[in-house]
Amino acid sequence: MILPRFDVLAPESIEEACSMLAENADKGVRLLAGGTDLLVELKSPIIPQHVPRCDGCPTHPDGAVSSTIDCKMWTSEPLMAPDGSLRTALADSKSASPACLVSLHKLKELKGINKLDNGGLRIGALTTITDIERSFEIRKEWTALAEGADNLGSPLVRNRGTLGGNIANARPAADTAVPTIALSGVLTLQGKSSKRIVPAENFPLGPGKTVIKPDEILTEINYPKLPPYSGSAYYKLTNRKALEISMVGVAVWLALEKPGGLVADVRVALGAVGPTPIRAESVKDVLIGKIPDENIIDKAAQAAMADARPIDDHRGSAWYRLQMVGTITKRMLKLAVKRAEGK
Amino acid sequence: MKKIISLTVNGIKHELAVEPRRTLLELLREDLGLTGVKKGCGIGDCGACTVLVDDVATFSCLTLAIQVEGCSVETIENLAKNGKLSRLQQAFVDHGAIQCGYCTPGMLMTSTELLRRNPHPDEQEIRQAISGNLCRCTGYQKIVDAIKAASGEYDE
Amino acid sequence: MSKYRILNTRAPRVDAVDKVTGKALYTDDLKRPGLLAGAILHSPLAHARILNIDTSRAENLAGVRAVVTHREAGTVPYGVSPARYDETIFCHDKVRYVGDEIAAVAAVDLDTALEAVSLIKVDFEELPIVLDGYTAMDEGQPQLHKMYKNNICAKVNWHFGDIEKGRRQSHIIRTDHLTSKMQDGAFLEPQSILAEVDSQGGLTMWSSTQAPHYVQRTLAMALRLPLHKVRVIKPAVGGGFGPKASCSSAELATCLLAMKTGKPVKFTFDREQVFLHSRARHQFFHTMTTGVKKDGTLSFLEHHCILDGGAYASFGIATIYYSGSLLGGPYRLRNMKYDGYRVVTNKPACGAQRGHGAVIARALFEIQLDRIAEELGMDPIELRLKNVMEAGETTCNELYVSSFGMREALEAVRDSAAWKKKRSMGGKTRGKGKGIGAACGFFVSGAGYPIYRSRTYHCTVITKVDDVGGGVTVSSGAADIGQGSDTVLAMITAEELGLSLDDVKIVSGDSNLSVDLGAYSSRTTLMTGTACRDAARDVKRQILEAVANKLDVAPTTLDLKDGLVMSLSEEIDFSELRKEYLQEHKGFMDLPDGPDLTFREASRIAFLEIGSIIGTGKYKPPPLGGSFKGAAVGTSPAFGCSAQVAEVSVDLETGQVSVDKITGAHDCGFAINRTQVEGQMQGSMMMGMGEALMEQIIYDTKGRIVNANLAEYKIPTAMDMPHLDAIIVESNEPHGPYGAKEVGEGAIMPVIPSILNAIYDATGVRIEELPVTPERIIAAMQESKKKAKT
Repeated sequence: MILPRFDVLAPESIEEACSMLAENADKGVRLLAGGTDLLVELKSPIIPQHVPRCDGCPTHPDGAVSSTIDCKMWTSEPLMAPDGSLRTALADSKSASPACLVSLHKLKELKGINKLDNGGLRIGALTTITDIERSFEIRKEWTALAEGADNLGSPLVRNRGTLGGNIANARPAADTAVPTIALSGVLTLQGKSSKRIVPAENFPLGPGKTVIKPDEILTEINYPKLPPYSGSAYYKLTNRKALEISMVGVAVWLALEKPGGLVADVRVALGAVGPTPIRAESVKDVLIGKIPDENIIDKAAQAAMADARPIDDHRGSAWYRLQMVGTITKRMLKLAVKRAEGK
Repeated sequence: MKKIISLTVNGIKHELAVEPRRTLLELLREDLGLTGVKKGCGIGDCGACTVLVDDVATFSCLTLAIQVEGCSVETIENLAKNGKLSRLQQAFVDHGAIQCGYCTPGMLMTSTELLRRNPHPDEQEIRQAISGNLCRCTGYQKIVDAIKAASGEYDE
Repeated sequence: MSKYRILNTRAPRVDAVDKVTGKALYTDDLKRPGLLAGAILHSPLAHARILNIDTSRAENLAGVRAVVTHREAGTVPYGVSPARYDETIFCHDKVRYVGDEIAAVAAVDLDTALEAVSLIKVDFEELPIVLDGYTAMDEGQPQLHKMYKNNICAKVNWHFGDIEKGRRQSHIIRTDHLTSKMQDGAFLEPQSILAEVDSQGGLTMWSSTQAPHYVQRTLAMALRLPLHKVRVIKPAVGGGFGPKASCSSAELATCLLAMKTGKPVKFTFDREQVFLHSRARHQFFHTMTTGVKKDGTLSFLEHHCILDGGAYASFGIATIYYSGSLLGGPYRLRNMKYDGYRVVTNKPACGAQRGHGAVIARALFEIQLDRIAEELGMDPIELRLKNVMEAGETTCNELYVSSFGMREALEAVRDSAAWKKKRSMGGKTRGKGKGIGAACGFFVSGAGYPIYRSRTYHCTVITKVDDVGGGVTVSSGAADIGQGSDTVLAMITAEELGLSLDDVKIVSGDSNLSVDLGAYSSRTTLMTGTACRDAARDVKRQILEAVANKLDVAPTTLDLKDGLVMSLSEEIDFSELRKEYLQEHKGFMDLPDGPDLTFREASRIAFLEIGSIIGTGKYKPPPLGGSFKGAAVGTSPAFGCSAQVAEVSVDLETGQVSVDKITGAHDCGFAINRTQVEGQMQGSMMMGMGEALMEQIIYDTKGRIVNANLAEYKIPTAMDMPHLDAIIVESNEPHGPYGAKEVGEGAIMPVIPSILNAIYDATGVRIEELPVTPERIIAAMQESKKKAKT
């Protein structure tokens, strides 16, 4: 696996970073945080070394070059251009080759975990997953996020990977994105001359696609203060116990009116069962204003299943993932209730 | 266009001209001749390339050299002092934690970081700490035994 | 008090310090002046005719030193077994799998080489592909090779004893199936090759290989060079497990590039290329019908197997035999029928991987025994104990077990894992989802015959005493690929000569040094160990004879021990010898001054008497096995055997399996190094567990590997592996050095079935397809619930 040739710019301020993004947008520019997603994406595989080219056939009378070509007579067109870049027009988006990377490694102000005066939590986008895993504060109050950090990848991935990177990469199974949605996290996007706040659940549009503008950087993630008698939990369903992308991820946050009392609020987010993390809205109607007993929790899990949209892939079938949404949501609701009651 | 960066490797400050896309792994193995750092997969799945960057276990294959400009990097070549193996290295030798030896450099760097941070880890903590370092030869048992035996190496 | 000073201890590996300090050099660590970088053009299609290859643009790229295709390489057929030479260095008429090698480039750096590869223009005519091994033999399927009609690369039809008689004797007869997937060796070090030619036309190739000798032969044959002009050197190797045991197109291509450019060329596989090359475990479709008598003794086995081996034969012709032959034991079985078909499909070729063709076959048979035990109402371990062979018996397919600690191993795991107690407790008391299962297995301790038909010695060892005295150097072509064979040879030599390990130098893995068939079929300890012992004894004899002659005593009254020469009878006066030694070393410090003559002095004096002292040892098994077709494969001078108990916890709602403990006992005859024997057992447990629960190569409809990386091809991590209890059983093998025989592969046999049997104990469902993923368990449980309702 070889990286294509690109330039690396290392801005010393957020403003400088945004400017660099804007200036290089037409040449192809990507933001580099920890690098555990971007650098893997950019390392082109040995195969394909070529893209199929058809020189003319009934289906393609004028000829065609495309990775999706399906002709029998097949001529190989090199994937790599002479300057070492990959032919972006031909290759699919995964192999796209940017002219430069803007590396954020000098922006120390983007790191940090701070409990705010208003009781909320602010995490800088460049905070590593390991730092989140080790934060007592986060584990105590925003438990689902800590549990999302716990099993993301491996310790080595967690040492380099960042909260901002994991969320901005917009994969449906992202282990910090799913709990962030359940915990009502909001993202601060800073551009050259703009700053806006986007709720986490509105951020991703599809796998690898977000609402972020070309000159914007995700700078921090804020979590609101949680009401009393709150409890949250996150479970990642995998085959082996590390280095896995989840087959199903479920994050639950709920708040009780009082221990043993009615559910005052609930948010359930599902990972890996749709093109983006899914907020299981239907659960609200089932649970709010009710005592969370076995029966109600069961119904709530069913509601979550109705919101899920899993597909078949080599990690798991849709039917299994759907069933697991029910099973895991049930478990996480029970656990969240227990934690809300202080147990 | 190459960039000049300086970084400290195993206690020695180096100034090097690197292509922006040069990974820390390539810099260590090819520019500095530190072949003790191994390449197993190149995309962060196996941990063979683990080194310490500012005391944090890091996969060098997925770190650009430019990203660690000014940092302090430690590789397996730095663990033995004046020809004497560290307690962890000796424990690996004594407990049969090495077979083909290819995962060993990465394992040692990860477990060195673990013991510096947590001098007396229990078995669960050890297994979790090395869960990103794959080994195909040992089944991990003797590696875990060795790390346990070396506990307390970094006691104050 | 042990009979031995060094043998049977936990001596540290001789290469341990180099490996923990990063000093050990693997092929990719090597540099040569003027080194060029190599790159290979792989086929993007699974099956296609090559109409034209245009290398002109690649050749004209600045920095490119050579571009080679079949035109430069020639089309000498090669492969693993001379009976199936179906490969050429590069494809010339067809490509047969995604990854098949078409061309190679040498350039001043890797970037240039890769760019040049992408400039090679190939015109293909796509052909229909066959991906399903199970139907590859059917009429009308696309044919991969002219020489394999109906895509059958090899077939075996055996019938030992009388199946019909066995049927009539049976009280219970059952038929079961098991399907597996293609696997990958997943060793941590990707293959790497460095080739160089010298001014006398000699070719030297360093390579991450298990078998320098076999590779040397293939290079010479395919490149048309005299054998003695080809040298293969194995540096430190980061794991092999089988896929590295034969010559690859990449090795041939790299050598060809070195020959063409006159410069050294290095080519290191990317992890993806490791998957594309494969030569790892076949896919198996097993069906077994087994009968037992009322008392539980086995009456017959009828076994049908289709092996999907990808696009070329590789080791497949041996794999197909191992699949059948290694069911002849470890139980008494008089009637066995085996029909095996090794087919080719448009996928990377499969070869030998730890346990070879016997692993999945063993898995099904052991699962079947459990099912039979349940039908009989018998404890599964008791059923096995009832049937195990004893030392001195012969299987129905003429495999003779000279030592066999199968009973001892079974009893050891039964007791150590508290089997009886846990089984009697039943599911409820032990906890929901908890299960315990057992299984056995056995394996060869070195293949009885070499891969090429020859009466060659399987290995030779040359041991030379330092002319200056003090130590010895053991030279051997043997391949230490991590299993620790160098340490075994050092320990044997040190034991025989009374030396410390520090005074024994091992030089190995170089085809120039000696013939050694390499590290495969678990042969090194028994075969090379024997030759090494004999070489050491030869050296000892020469030294003691020379010294005895000087002292005017009979050589039989002297011995070597603890670095000294000991007299077994009366005191000897060696003052003359010491005087000469001291005189020779005027000015030296730390001279010997003790009451005994030292080895240092004795070996030097012996040199002064007779010149260089060189001892040689050689080994070749006696003729083994029956006279039926394919009898050779599966024969061995000895057989190791293994028993295991696995304990699991299954989450009955998600299907996730946690293996809580594996207790294994392996009969290795005699443990030369106890730590290394345990290490091999534990490594086998890990690989078997991975294959049982999570490892599988996944292909798309175009024959491309979907998961050609270590994130999606899952091998167990430290968090997945439980505590591994390794118990050593020593049955004292008469044909092995000091009683030793294999451990490298046999210990993988019981892993998959003991885990699957434990899963059944926990869930009540049987899964007939590997790997047993959580999804498969839930599917099976729901299917079973449905059946129960109807």
